[in-house]
Amino acid sequence: MALTSNVHDKGRWERFRDSDFFFAFKRSPVALVSFTIVCILVFSAVFAPWIAPTNPFNPASLNLMDGFTPPMEPNAFTGTRFLMGTDDQGRDVFSTILYGMRVSLFVGASAVLFAMVLGIVLGLVSGYFGGWTETIIMRIADVQLTFPSILVAMLIFGIAKGFTPVEYRDQMAIWVLILAIGLSDWVQFARVVRGTTLVEKKKDYVAAALLIGRRPWAIMIKHILPNALSPVLVIATISLALAIIAEATLSFLGVGAPPTQPSLGTLIRIGQGFLFSGEWWILFFPACTLLVLALSVNLLGDWLRDALNPRLR
Amino acid sequence: MTRTISALLLSTALALPATAEEFTWAVTTDPQTMDPHAVNSAPVLGFLNNVYEGLVRRGKDMSVEPALATSWEPIGDGEGWRFALRQGVTFQDGAEFNADDVIFSYERASNEASDTRSWFAPVKEVVKVDDFTVDFLTNAPNPIFPGSIANWMIMDSGWAEANNAALPDKENGNFATLNANGTGAFRVTAREPGLRTVLQPHEGWWGEAEHNITKATLQPIQNPATALAALLSGDVDFINPVPIQDVARLQDNPDVKVIQGIEARVIMLGFPHEAEALKFSAETTDANPFADVRVRQAVAHAVNVPAILQTIMRGNAEEVSQLVSPAMNGYSASLAARPAHDPEKAKALLAEAGYADGFSFGLKCPNNRYLNDEAVCQAVTGMLAQVGITATLDAMPVQNYWPELRADNYDMYLLGWSPGTFDAEHPIRFLASTPNEEKKLGSWNFGGYSNARVDELLPMIQSEIDQGKRQSMIDEAHKILQDEMAYVPLYVQPLVWGARSNIDLTQRPDNFFILRWVTVN
Repeated sequence: MALTSNVHDKGRWERFRDSDFFFAFKRSPVALVSFTIVCILVFSAVFAPWIAPTNPFNPASLNLMDGFTPPMEPNAFTGTRFLMGTDDQGRDVFSTILYGMRVSLFVGASAVLFAMVLGIVLGLVSGYFGGWTETIIMRIADVQLTFPSILVAMLIFGIAKGFTPVEYRDQMAIWVLILAIGLSDWVQFARVVRGTTLVEKKKDYVAAALLIGRRPWAIMIKHILPNALSPVLVIATISLALAIIAEATLSFLGVGAPPTQPSLGTLIRIGQGFLFSGEWWILFFPACTLLVLALSVNLLGDWLRDALNPRLR
Repeated sequence: MTRTISALLLSTALALPATAEEFTWAVTTDPQTMDPHAVNSAPVLGFLNNVYEGLVRRGKDMSVEPALATSWEPIGDGEGWRFALRQGVTFQDGAEFNADDVIFSYERASNEASDTRSWFAPVKEVVKVDDFTVDFLTNAPNPIFPGSIANWMIMDSGWAEANNAALPDKENGNFATLNANGTGAFRVTAREPGLRTVLQPHEGWWGEAEHNITKATLQPIQNPATALAALLSGDVDFINPVPIQDVARLQDNPDVKVIQGIEARVIMLGFPHEAEALKFSAETTDANPFADVRVRQAVAHAVNVPAILQTIMRGNAEEVSQLVSPAMNGYSASLAARPAHDPEKAKALLAEAGYADGFSFGLKCPNNRYLNDEAVCQAVTGMLAQVGITATLDAMPVQNYWPELRADNYDMYLLGWSPGTFDAEHPIRFLASTPNEEKKLGSWNFGGYSNARVDELLPMIQSEIDQGKRQSMIDEAHKILQDEMAYVPLYVQPLVWGARSNIDLTQRPDNFFILRWVTVN
């Protein structure tokens, strides 16, 4: 059996399984653990409606008398037990975390995707065309780098909010948040892609592609971009952790996800009001979840950088 | 050398009693204006009571005492009141106080541009008898009139006119919005809206100073937990309010003290009585269910007030059945029962009214005005959802809240009302009378509730001298309001103040913080 499998052409999965990349992954406990944690968290966020014991955002299902129940202890009035306790409205903290993580991950991932697309396009354009286009785009990037990204995000969020009619603000808040974080985060992608483009565009295969009459867009995307994909992937992973934290920061400051669609940051903000009075669990569990989520994504990103870029090892 | 040092020490020792007693306090809501006639709200009036004065003022026990008037007496057989003004009083800019300022302030405060207009509904005319005597002629005998104008503050006519602020400007503001010139014990020396307001004693004040403050700073801190942290760390000397959930913990801390009392403020739900249709409903866009008394009663039965008091208020508030708390004059003891929490009955009432499947609507709520206001609204939303009516909650800072209510942008709203006169007549005049610009009635009756009998009873209540007869009229009005569920009164808000333990102060039941009763030890 083993012999035959050695003879026939390897499938994609087998090629992946035999690659250096997978080998490095198997050998790295950090990568294994953080990958498992990220998988569990993403899975439970995506399937929150089926996993969560209650839907905390259906007001009809709440019982106010369940409020302020400590974790694992029975409520004084209703006798109900909750894994992570309840908040002031009697919402199950565990369920709110699952739903909150959905918002956090969705905003984080969408913002990174947005930043990535924007950064890749601008990086390719400025690297390939050069001249004024490059100067303008890269100077904007330089200027933006001098501001902390959270400040840029707050600025964009504030302006966008001003243009949204009051009645749509809550629905729009999530999208505005994605836009704000995405716009504050495109610079890194643009710089990396531009650097690769500058190197690659002078190579013979690009000249050959030009000679046979391929259009600039086709050359940029089909020929040059694949060379930049590994660093982009690494930056995207690390940006994801940063975007999740940026979203939590904005929501904590009260300018992010609204209480009707709370993210982990909103939950931490709500919980902060009960810290002095001893209801620690309303703050503690969302904060821990955020910590674990951001840390595992970050460690995974770090490992990815090492694995994909052997020169750094 | 030794002599110089001892002289130096001596001079330092002598200088010690004159050390500046600085005092800083934090509130949730910054007073939005320094104009005492522009906004009739407790954060503004409470703060300005330290700067401006009225003809009369309220003492530590809320009793009416002389301020800019030294005495007052009824004219004839209930035709009005004659006030003898205090002589030798100067405004903070040095101008003399006399009857012209009273007339001017009356015209200013009762003008259409003013938010305090309705205070003067009973007044027919104000007449200057001489420089220090003024007559207030009323439409009908009005036994409680002097107490009803305790928050009406006197402004200098010359100052207002010279600074182009002869009338208040609610919307855009004018000179009097940022500056103040009263006769009170403190003058405003710096005003940065939303950041800080600095007060210093008015040296020319006519009264005897009880306080020892040399400089007081008001600092708005919107987040209650932040304010509490500031108090614990000693950054501020006093906060109002203390978050209800932290009371127990603060009481164990020797550095701070908690001052608790029952406030005069009743928290209630209001309805759009006059609206033709709901504004924020997904499906009920051509009808106004809240115009039906059964729907309003259903709301009253759906809200579980004891649960709100038990959890959100942590047992620090009392439920209430009418627009005034039991501590107020004119409370109807016979009508003390609140509609019981009964979701089944609420559902039955809704079905009877033709809304068996419920409906959706928009609930407006402030998030920095009353204790745990947003949490209470969230809880109400949940309780209403359980009987089938689903609210979309929109909570906002109070600066945006009042304009939103004035523009009728709500299907239901949360309101707190504290009668400035400590009398049941006050909410009837402001909240239950048919709104009438000309007669200055119903100015906070956002929903336009209207009942002919209540309108008829109000002037009778105002002019009745016999306490028994007056009470039965108030009872009748309260009964109508209860039967028609004009508002759903929920609970009486508790007063919870926190101070550093070296501060002595007096808590007045109307939640006004009076700086001249503060001593820094």
